Amino acid sequence: MIIKNFDPKQLAQEYDGLSPAAIIKLALKSFDKIAISFSGAEDVVLVDIATKINPNVKVFSLDTGRLHPETYRFIEQVRAHYNIEIDVLSPDAKAVQDLVRSKGLYSFYKDGHKECCSIRKVIPLRRHLAVLDAWITGQRKDQSPDTRNAVPVVEKDAAFSSADKNFYKFNPLANWSSAEVWEYIRSNDVPFNALHEQGFSSIGCEPCTRPVLPNQHEREGRWWWEESTQKECGLHVADQKK
Amino acid sequence: MKITFVKKIKIDGSPCRKCAEVQSRLEKDGYIDKIDRTVIADERDNNSEGIQLATLYEVDRAPFFIVESDVGDPLIYTVYFKFVNEILSGKTNEEDTAKDILDSNDLDFI
Repeated sequence: MIIKNFDPKQLAQEYDGLSPAAIIKLALKSFDKIAISFSGAEDVVLVDIATKINPNVKVFSLDTGRLHPETYRFIEQVRAHYNIEIDVLSPDAKAVQDLVRSKGLYSFYKDGHKECCSIRKVIPLRRHLAVLDAWITGQRKDQSPDTRNAVPVVEKDAAFSSADKNFYKFNPLANWSSAEVWEYIRSNDVPFNALHEQGFSSIGCEPCTRPVLPNQHEREGRWWWEESTQKECGLHVADQKK
Repeated sequence: MKITFVKKIKIDGSPCRKCAEVQSRLEKDGYIDKIDRTVIADERDNNSEGIQLATLYEVDRAPFFIVESDVGDPLIYTVYFKFVNEILSGKTNEEDTAKDILDSNDLDFI
């Protein structure tokens, strides 16, 4: 089922002040072909809330082949704890082999993370989303104040929409802070990735994430070596006042 | 149909890596002849034509394409594979498409 005349802009305004549970209810009511993207981190909150609404909710994780052992164990823990199926998506073996053969296992430290992420994350993700109408993510505004301060709770996903088909993204945690997420985890006895106890705020692939110090922003724990090139595609207008 | 390719020069005067990459793909894929004009958005000069066009069309990244036809408003593309697929009816390979998606979207949360 897809709600006719689904209007993400209007719904984003309407649901902006509502709880993640209300947003997830809207998502599951609006689309049958919808799934939660679970990264093996604190977005487990989505799984906890959604399974209370629909125990058969679809969940998927991207197995890049380079995750921390703790994350693999945590994905298994979540599968058992909530008694759900988790689609664990693997990258194309040949594409990974070609990359590793030509550039080695750590090319991202020299060439940037995007080539590796494209192969290990984006291609499997794109293929998976192609059979869905919408997805639910754990994106939050406070994760990257520079680029995510306008993340709406629901939006048309331009990255995965095509000329033939609109695709939608729900971000139920958009307005929650990290503190609110952790308050929920503690209050509801939600299982969490053991890496969080070791200082990891942002959990991705093992070579590309590291613990952060107190008061260090969580984005500093990921791809720290290429910070200076992050915004290269932006257009910046010069201040020409003298 | 008239296609304008806008590429930028960075505030330090150096060329934009992504713009060079897209130009090279246009050449490699045989689409460079489809581009009617190439315009520079010079971040050091607000009056440069590319910056003026970016302001006019509210584009905040580069490179980008402006596609003008006799009917309707100009179409703006900031993603190479979408431009190629939708305007030139061409195909891009899956890895390049994935890189375009990463370059143009915040997917750090996955």
